[in-house]
Amino acid sequence: MRAREVPFDIANIPGQETGRIVSAEVAAALISASHRPLLVVGSEAMRDEFFVEKAIEMGEKGVAIAATGKSIRGFMRKGYKKVQYFNLHDITNRLRDPDWKGIDGNGNHDTVIFFGILYYYASQMLSCLKNFALNPLIRTISIDRYYHPNARFTFPNIESDEEYKKMIEKVVELVKR
Amino acid sequence: MEEIFKRGVLTLEGFENVRIFIGKIEEEEEEWEPMGPTPMPAISTIRSWDFKLLRRYKPFYAPFCDFCCLCTFGKCDLTGNKKGACGIRMDAQQGRIVLLACIIGCSAHCGHGRHMLHELKRKFGDVEIDFGPEVDIEAPLTRLICGIKPRRISDYERVFDYVEEELVQLSDALHTGQEGSYLDFESKALHVGMLDSLSKEAADIIQMAAYGMPSSKEGGGPDVPLVEVGMGVADTTKAVILVIGHNVVPAASIADHMEESGHEEEIELVGICCTAHDVTRYKPKAKIISALGRQLRVIRAGIADVIVVDEQCIRADVVESASRVHSPVIATNEKAMHGLEDRTDDPADEIVEDLVSERVPGVVILDAEKVGEVAVKTALRMKDKRRKMRIILSDEEFQRWVGECIQCGSCTLACPLGLRIGEANAKAASGNKEALASLFDICVGCGRCEQVCKKNIPIIDVITKAAHPQIKEERGKIRVGRGPIWDSEIREVGAPIVLGTIPGVIAPIGCGNYPNGTKDAWLIVEEFASRNYIVTLTGCMAIDAALWKDEEGKTVYEKYHGRFDAGGVLNIGSCVANAHIHGAAIKIAAIFARRKLRANYEEIADYILNRVGACGVAWGAMSQKAASIATGFNRLGVPAVVGPHGTKYRRAFLGRSDIEEDWIIFDARDGSEVRIEPAPEHLLVACETVEEALPMIAKLCFRPSDTDRGRSIKLTHYIDLHEKYLGCLPEDWWLFVRTAADLPIARRDELLKRLEDEHGWVIDWKRKRIKEGPLRGYDPSFDPTNLRRLIRKK
Repeated sequence: MRAREVPFDIANIPGQETGRIVSAEVAAALISASHRPLLVVGSEAMRDEFFVEKAIEMGEKGVAIAATGKSIRGFMRKGYKKVQYFNLHDITNRLRDPDWKGIDGNGNHDTVIFFGILYYYASQMLSCLKNFALNPLIRTISIDRYYHPNARFTFPNIESDEEYKKMIEKVVELVKR
Repeated sequence: MEEIFKRGVLTLEGFENVRIFIGKIEEEEEEWEPMGPTPMPAISTIRSWDFKLLRRYKPFYAPFCDFCCLCTFGKCDLTGNKKGACGIRMDAQQGRIVLLACIIGCSAHCGHGRHMLHELKRKFGDVEIDFGPEVDIEAPLTRLICGIKPRRISDYERVFDYVEEELVQLSDALHTGQEGSYLDFESKALHVGMLDSLSKEAADIIQMAAYGMPSSKEGGGPDVPLVEVGMGVADTTKAVILVIGHNVVPAASIADHMEESGHEEEIELVGICCTAHDVTRYKPKAKIISALGRQLRVIRAGIADVIVVDEQCIRADVVESASRVHSPVIATNEKAMHGLEDRTDDPADEIVEDLVSERVPGVVILDAEKVGEVAVKTALRMKDKRRKMRIILSDEEFQRWVGECIQCGSCTLACPLGLRIGEANAKAASGNKEALASLFDICVGCGRCEQVCKKNIPIIDVITKAAHPQIKEERGKIRVGRGPIWDSEIREVGAPIVLGTIPGVIAPIGCGNYPNGTKDAWLIVEEFASRNYIVTLTGCMAIDAALWKDEEGKTVYEKYHGRFDAGGVLNIGSCVANAHIHGAAIKIAAIFARRKLRANYEEIADYILNRVGACGVAWGAMSQKAASIATGFNRLGVPAVVGPHGTKYRRAFLGRSDIEEDWIIFDARDGSEVRIEPAPEHLLVACETVEEALPMIAKLCFRPSDTDRGRSIKLTHYIDLHEKYLGCLPEDWWLFVRTAADLPIARRDELLKRLEDEHGWVIDWKRKRIKEGPLRGYDPSFDPTNLRRLIRKK
C-alpha cells in the first residue's frame, strides 16, 4: 500500500480540519463502538460483486444500509432486502437533521460510513456533514480507496485493488455489533 | 416666453425658479393587457414567493472550501458553521458564493445580449420583432417580468437597463457587511436566476430578429433543417475556420464574407458550443464540430486553419494551445482579448500577413466585418501552409510517449474524474490502445493531467491519437436550433401536459462536464422521447446527444419528430435559447389556462410549480451560467436534476417527503389546506449516475394537479424506469397514489395488494377501490396554489 496524505482530487483541500487516516482495524473499531451506524453504499460498489457482498456481510452484522445511486441493483441481484434506496443528496440532507428518524424509524444515526461512492460527490456530502451535522455530531468514516479530507476518518489513497479488498475484508471481519 | 438655456433645461416666464428636467422620452406602452402586480420587480418584490419555495425546498449546503478569503479580516475559518470576523456564518457564506456564481452567469447573458443589441442595431437598424403567424406571444419572459411587449429590438434597451441596475444592487449585496442571512442570499440568487432567464430571452430575440433565425416563418419550428455534427465532419481538404464561444456576430460576419467573396465552397465553417448552434441557425451550411467538452481536443487535433473566439466558455489557454498546432487566433470581443494586440484599425491584409507568417500568435479585432475578411483570407493561406505540416502524433511518437509512462498516478490525482490514465498507457505500450481510446469520450478535456506528468507526456494528444479511428467516424445529425415554441403547439399540448397525459417536458441543457461521457446525454433523450415525453434540448447537451446513433444509424434528431408534442426531440438552440423553454411553460399558463401574463411572475410561477410537469436536466453542468440558468428555472417552479459534479455548486434545494407540514397547500376554491404528495419532491438535486437520474427525472414530473389518468401514466414511467435501471420498485411509489385509477393499468391488482400488505391500506377488492390509506383522495376540481391571494372564497 502506498498511502499519500493528499486528497484523491489533488486540489480538494477544504480547510484546516482534514480527515484523519485510519487503518482497517481502527475503522472497524470506530464502527463497532458506534450506537447507530449507517453504511451508505454508492454506485462504485457495483464495479465488483465483492464490494456488494462485503456490504451485505456488514448488514448481516446489524449495520443499517442505505444504497445510493445505482448500487441498489447490486443488492437486489443478491436477493438482499435489508437495504433501502436513497438519493445521496437526499439522505445527507436528512442526516444533517437531528430530528430525522433514521432509515429504520428509530432515530438519526451517530456514525455514517461511506463506501463505494463517486469521489467528488462523496466529498461534497462529507463536507456538508462536517460543517452542519454537529449537534449531535455525526461521525463520518470513509472506507473508499481514496483519501477524503472532508471525512473525519478516512482510508488513504490506495492504488492496488487487491490491497484495498484486503482492507475491506478486514473491516468487515472485525466489526462487532 | 419660454427660453431654452441649454439642452434639456427650459425656463418659463414668471417661473424662473422652476426648472423642469426632461429626461428620456418613452412612448406609452400599447395597452395589450392590464399591468400586473410586479412590473420589473426589485430585489424584495417577489421575496415572499422565494421564501415559500425555500420553506419547502430548504437550501442544502456542501461547502467546497471551509474558508472565506474575501476581505483582509480573513482568511476566516468557517468550519462547523462558525462565524467569520465579519459575522457571516458558513451557511450564509455558501449562499453568498451561490449568489456570486449566479451574478456571473447572468452578467454573461446580459452582457452578451447588450453587446449584440449595440452591434446589430448598428448593422441592421431597429429591427421589428416578428416571429411569424404561429408566435403571438413573442417574448413571454419579457412580458411576464417587465410588463413590456417588445415590438422592436430597441425595446430591449429598457430591459437591459433594468437587468443591469438589478445586477449592480445584487453585486453590492455581496460586499462584506451587507447581507447576513442564507435565506436572503438565496432569495437574491433566485432573483438573479429570473433576471438571467430574461437576459437570455432578450439576447435570443435580438439575434433571431436581426439575423432572421428560425421562428414560425417558413422552414422554422419543427421543419428546421438538419446539420452535421461531430469531430469527423470537418472536410479538411478545404480551409477550416473554427469559431468558439457564444456570441454569433463575428461568426455570422465570417459566413457573410465567405459568400460575398465567393469562397464559400473552399472553406469549412465549423463551430464549438453555442456560437456553433447560432451560426447554423443563421447559415445551415456551417457545421457543429463539438460541444464545450471537446474544445481542447479539437484545437489540439489541429483541424483549424484559423480560430475565432468571441465570448464565454473559451479556454483561457486558447492562444497557447492553438500555437502548438499553428492555428492563428482572432479574438473578437473586449471580454476575452487573451493578451493579444488590438489590430482593429489596421488594414486587413497587414493583419493577415502577420498571422500567416506567425509573427504573432493571434490578434484582437473588434470589428465584426473585418473579422470576416481577415478570417477568410487567413484560413485560405494557412491551409496551404498547414497541410504540409504534420500536426498530430505519428504512430512512433505515440508508442514512445505511452512507453515513457512510469505509472506514478499523478495524472489520476489531477483528473477531475480520477481517470486511471497510467493503466491505459501501460496497456497501450503493450499494443492495446482500447483502454486509452475508451477514455476519449469520458475525459472532460481539461488538460490538468499534462501539467503534472513527470515525463511531460502530451496526454491529451495521446488519448486523441488512440481514439483517432473513432473520431474520424464521429458524424451525426442535429436539427438546428428552432427557437420559440409556437403558440399553436401550446394550444395543442397545454391540456395534456397539465392533465398529465403527456407525462412531462424534459429539458436536457447545459455544459459537458459529465461523469461518464456523452452517451448519457443520448440515453436521457432516448428514454424520455421513446416514452412520449417532450424533450427540449439546448447548448452542449443538445450537441452531445447527437453524437450517438441507434441500430439503424439514426441520431435522436433523425429518429424523433421536432414538434412540441409527445415524443418530440427539439433542439431549441444555444444557451440563450433556454429562455424559450421557460417561455413554453409560461405560455401554457397564459394560453391554455388564460392566466394574466403581464408583470405577474408569482402567479405564473405558482401555476407552473403546481401544474406543469417539466424538469430540467443539466447532466454536465459546469459554468456559472449553468448555476444561474438552473436557479432561474427553479424560481419559475421548474425543478432540475444535475450530474454529480453539480454538487460542487455547493447548494441544492431539497424537499423532505417525510415532513408533513412542508407539503400543505391551499385549494384556491375555498382556501382549505390540503396535504399533497411530494410533487415535485426537489427543486435542485444531484444524481450519482445516469441510471439513478432517469427515474428521478420522471419522479420530478409529478404535479399535484395531475388527473388520475395522467398520474397513472407518470407513475407507470417512474416505476418502470426505477425497475429497469435500479432493479426494484421505488420506495416511495405509494406516496403518489390518491386513487386506484392513479395506478399503472397493467399492474393495478398487484400494486393494490402491495398497498394492502405493505402499507396497511384498506382496499375494496370487489370494486377495486382504495377505501383508506392515501395522503389525499383524488379530486378532479382541486385547484392547488401556494398563494393566499389567489383563494377565491375565504
